Amino acid sequence: MSVVHHDPSTLPVDDNVNPYTFCVELAGSQWFLQKGKMIAYYGAIEFNGIGHGRLDRLVRTSFHSPLHASDWVVAEGSGKMLLADRAFDVNSFDLEDGNLTVRSGNLLAFQPSLSLKQSIVPGFLTLIGTGKFVAASNGPVVFMEPPLRVDPQALVGWADCPSPCHHYDHGYMTGVLGGLRALTGLGGASGEEHQFEFVGAGTVLLQSSEALLPEQPAGGTPHEPGVPGGGAHGAPGAPPGAPRLPGQLGDLQRRFGL
Amino acid sequence: MFRLQGSKVLAVDMTGDAVKAKNGSMVAYDGQMSFRKLSGGGEGLRGMVTRRLTGEQMTVMEVKGHGTCWFADRASEINLVALHGDKLYVEAGNFLAADAGLRTGTEFTGLRGASQGNGLFTTSIEGHGQAAIMSDGPAVVLRVSARYPLTVDPGAYVAHQGNLRQSFQSGVTFRTMLGEGGGEAFQIRFEGDGLVYVQPSERNTIAGDV
Repeated sequence: MSVVHHDPSTLPVDDNVNPYTFCVELAGSQWFLQKGKMIAYYGAIEFNGIGHGRLDRLVRTSFHSPLHASDWVVAEGSGKMLLADRAFDVNSFDLEDGNLTVRSGNLLAFQPSLSLKQSIVPGFLTLIGTGKFVAASNGPVVFMEPPLRVDPQALVGWADCPSPCHHYDHGYMTGVLGGLRALTGLGGASGEEHQFEFVGAGTVLLQSSEALLPEQPAGGTPHEPGVPGGGAHGAPGAPPGAPRLPGQLGDLQRRFGL
Repeated sequence: MFRLQGSKVLAVDMTGDAVKAKNGSMVAYDGQMSFRKLSGGGEGLRGMVTRRLTGEQMTVMEVKGHGTCWFADRASEINLVALHGDKLYVEAGNFLAADAGLRTGTEFTGLRGASQGNGLFTTSIEGHGQAAIMSDGPAVVLRVSARYPLTVDPGAYVAHQGNLRQSFQSGVTFRTMLGEGGGEAFQIRFEGDGLVYVQPSERNTIAGDV
């Protein structure tokens, strides 16, 4: 078996070198990348934190999440650069005047022709526009058409889907036994009673494993009423309305169907 | 004769000759094999003292016999390196096996080692034969020539071979201190003529934290 030796003339242009390494060609152009994902480069490439005065214009046009700007850098210059992430599978995706929402920990890099925004769904980021981006996944990515329900740990992202929502199996929700099962795991919980449901036209991206990539902070959201994750409704978990009376079981009561 | 079986198991066919391998990395063998621990990396008393002093500890064994011996370590990816009189530099932790005829030693690496957090010294392997090194994910082999110098993240660096000069680049500026750094504050630049092995993963380094 002969080992392939790469140099700038044999490295691919904006494509995978192997399933775990991606090569980006820069010719006076720019790419956004998550901090620390560059493993090697040929040529003259500069890495600058966002918020660098010179890059301010770029932030205005393609970076709309000021709250986590410090996790991203801009690579600028000419040469070929290799990207990788903890030996996970990496893949590039092309968007053409489209939108795609991806788990924040999975996104590695993107072209500035795309604009990055925080999703309303906490922990997810949305890319809008035309261009290429690179995402990591644990195992190869599978593309699925809605309607479908997916395991929360296998979800990488979705494109053009109007309604990502939670779905619980009926037996999990109702009755004393269902409640007991969900709380204790006794009596045969399959571990699959809760899913994400997608309907409508679009594509859902799944990874072929249920091992999550470590979460990347997607930045806080403004603390305003009506903003999910904004936490403007007081302490989470506190029931709205009247305070709980002694002897009342609250959520448990409802769970056990009492 | 070194050959890969899949990408994570190394098979070595032996006819009375010997290989040096990381202690405890044998997973199976057929035929007749004998295993002997080599103190101080099999480099004699001098090597033993050097390794102890430099902290570049390497516990290796000598495997000798007739038949096939299989090696693997924590499901790491294995890369074969053919040496034709040139020198391979690899971190002791990434070393899996080498022909017994190859000379191993300890060398000073300077600041690169320090930036990786694994010491100022590295292991060198020299001679004619084959060696096997491990990486987290399959390594990409990058050629460095006079026209194409290469810059590598210290955390992704695994090994290099040939006639290369390495210099340490630091991009630490006042911005790094403000938390607005480029995230790639430490880099190693390779110039000359040779090959560099990088893995698609970054171990935790001092550089990674800056």
